[in-house]
Amino acid sequence: MSNKTGLKQFVAKPARLPTQNDQTIIRRIHSRCFNTIGNSILTISVVVLGWYVISAALDWAVFNAVWHASTRRECMNISPEGACWAGVISWFNGLIYGRYPTDQQWRINLGFILAVMWLFPLSCQKIAYRNFILLSWIGLYPFFGAYLFLGGTFGVDIGVFHGVLTCLASGFFILLYANWLLAILNKPHLCEIFQPLASRLFNRWSQPLCLLFVWLVLSLPAAAVLSQVQLQPVAIERWGGLFLTLIIATFAITMSIPIGVILALGRQSTLPVVHWLSLLVIELVRAVPLITVLFMAVTLLPIFLPSDMELNKLSQVLFAVCIFAGAYMAENIRGGLQAIPRGQYEAAQALGLGYWFTMLLIVLPQALRLMIPNIMTSFISILKDTTLVSIIGLFDIMLMARNISNDKDWIGLHTEPIAMISILFFVLCYSMSQYSLNLEKRLKVDRS
Amino acid sequence: MTLQNRSATTPEPHGRAIEISGLNKWYGAHHVLRDISLDIAESEIMVVCGPSGSGKSTLIRCLNHLEEYQEGEVSVFGHTLQRNTQSDRYIHQTIGMVFQSFNLFPHLSVLQNCTLGLTWLRKKSDSEARDIAMSLLERVGIANLADRFPGQISGGQQQRVAISRSLAMEPKIMLFDEPTSALDPEMVKEVLDVMVNLAKTGMTMVCVTHEMQFARQVADRVVFMEDGEIVEVGPPEQVLLNPQWDRTKEFLDHIL
Ligand SMILES: Nc1ncnc2c1ncn2[C@@H]1O[C@H](COP(=O)(O)OP(=O)(O)OP(=O)(O)O)[C@@H](O)[C@H]1O
Ligand SMILES: [Mg+2]
Repeated sequence: MSNKTGLKQFVAKPARLPTQNDQTIIRRIHSRCFNTIGNSILTISVVVLGWYVISAALDWAVFNAVWHASTRRECMNISPEGACWAGVISWFNGLIYGRYPTDQQWRINLGFILAVMWLFPLSCQKIAYRNFILLSWIGLYPFFGAYLFLGGTFGVDIGVFHGVLTCLASGFFILLYANWLLAILNKPHLCEIFQPLASRLFNRWSQPLCLLFVWLVLSLPAAAVLSQVQLQPVAIERWGGLFLTLIIATFAITMSIPIGVILALGRQSTLPVVHWLSLLVIELVRAVPLITVLFMAVTLLPIFLPSDMELNKLSQVLFAVCIFAGAYMAENIRGGLQAIPRGQYEAAQALGLGYWFTMLLIVLPQALRLMIPNIMTSFISILKDTTLVSIIGLFDIMLMARNISNDKDWIGLHTEPIAMISILFFVLCYSMSQYSLNLEKRLKVDRS
Repeated sequence: MTLQNRSATTPEPHGRAIEISGLNKWYGAHHVLRDISLDIAESEIMVVCGPSGSGKSTLIRCLNHLEEYQEGEVSVFGHTLQRNTQSDRYIHQTIGMVFQSFNLFPHLSVLQNCTLGLTWLRKKSDSEARDIAMSLLERVGIANLADRFPGQISGGQQQRVAISRSLAMEPKIMLFDEPTSALDPEMVKEVLDVMVNLAKTGMTMVCVTHEMQFARQVADRVVFMEDGEIVEVGPPEQVLLNPQWDRTKEFLDHIL
């Protein structure tokens, strides 16, 4: 073939499918597990060993287990070899809610449902002020949650500051869902609707002022409703079980990122005071076991604080766990910061982005994404570490579980509650690690 | 797009864009820039060439505060630079830079790379920033890639995004540090075409490059550097075709 120029014309060969490499399952097993004598022996011994362990565990936990009984003695009489799940079942409510009054437990359920619902609108890409959702969840929801869980009347048990923030949180929640609905319907969001009005009133800052205005207006009905409702007060001492564990863990996990970022940036800072202070906090906290940090928070913190400021045990524990988690997170984040090539800083500087913009827009987003696996590992260990708070007397799930064996009906029932907690933690931690894998794939820094 | 001599289309240079006098820089005891004095006029296209390690990158990085220097003075439109690398708003607003390794922000889409500075520094609204960025991407011929990520486009395309990203901030001076030397030959042309078009708009440009074709066609002056010193400066015909120094001739024989 030749064209006008006299050169041969290049035509690519037609593409074809790759040759199929279809191995049957049996052949695959054979080629991987039984390809040599050594491998065959290894495979067989692993299978046999696995069979013994698993069948023994299943016998105890399922086949010989007792599900209905009213005391441990009864369990023993029915099946001395099996697990006595009846005890765990009768204490199940306590494991989840601690000593929270039974008729008030709907508040905990509602609180957790709202916390999750607060994050749903994140799934919508088009929603207005999407960046604020996480921020509001960290900054506003805790006040609302604290009100819901503590109960009490506005102005009496709930301080003015706390009350106002609770109303603002409710207002924001309504705004969020209204905007979500409008975004789904492809309508302009609430603030845009009032924008013409706002820009007539104020010539500068009309957009943020409009948002503020709509938010305040939505908070008013919330305030009216909330001030009429009287929730029965529940003292913090009665909080417990998985509920308390999750509160501490969620708090520590969400706070560990901002604390970690601040400490990591502080450690890299060229200002000597900031640098040494961050270094001191990081190294001190990391050199000490969590239990000691917890004890120090409970015993030392009240000494440092002004005497008229009285902190409850939960706030002290939250403080300790946050600092602890933050110091570890700081090292994770520092690792991420170091992995960012210098060219990124230079490009940002050449564009004129100052230190904070460079960090917030360019460096941290990349560093955090690079570190997702490590950060998730830290999150998981924070969740597991929170069980240590039982040592200083918070009735978290661990202490509740140990209490079962002190109950006169279930005296000496140790193994089953622990097994139950292990399963629960496995489910929680495993879902976190699966979620992290998913996140890692979705947020890869260079989407090549 | 055809390459053509720009002197016919651009106004005569006037005023001084950059003045460098007695610039000296050391890395430890290593003297990398030695008594550099050079003036660059407004709308001038200056090409800097020289062997590896001669201090070309260091020189142009000193012009926009990416590198500190120990002696001498650099001023941009009469504004004198501090010697340290503290960020200087005026300089970053006036000077844009394009790097050899593109340095795009990999976690942002092509469009977001270009709108970033506009929304956060120039406080433009989203739609305004988008329009500006799209028209720039159009100008460099990659508007269709606006929603891709840097990892999903070729090197030549990435470098064109980097140029648009700088241009979005409306700089008066553009610095190019070997913008084409990390590219395959076929992509070099697409980037050079963009630079030639930019030169025609009257932008002041300082380009470190070994593309002598480009230098001959658009440069007003060519600087040849060796061991941290300026050996020769002059119009491209003089420096490239009729060098006065043996070292320049030797270098040119190598790369031409
Ligand atoms: N950060 C640094 N620390 C110490 N020495 C450096 C540093 N950066 C550059 N140098 C040295 O300074 C000299 C000039 O480097 P520069 O990068 O400016 O050269 P160049 O002309 O751009 O070379 P190339 O063509 O390879 O890019 C070289 O000898 C180099 O080894
Ligand atoms: Mg260089």
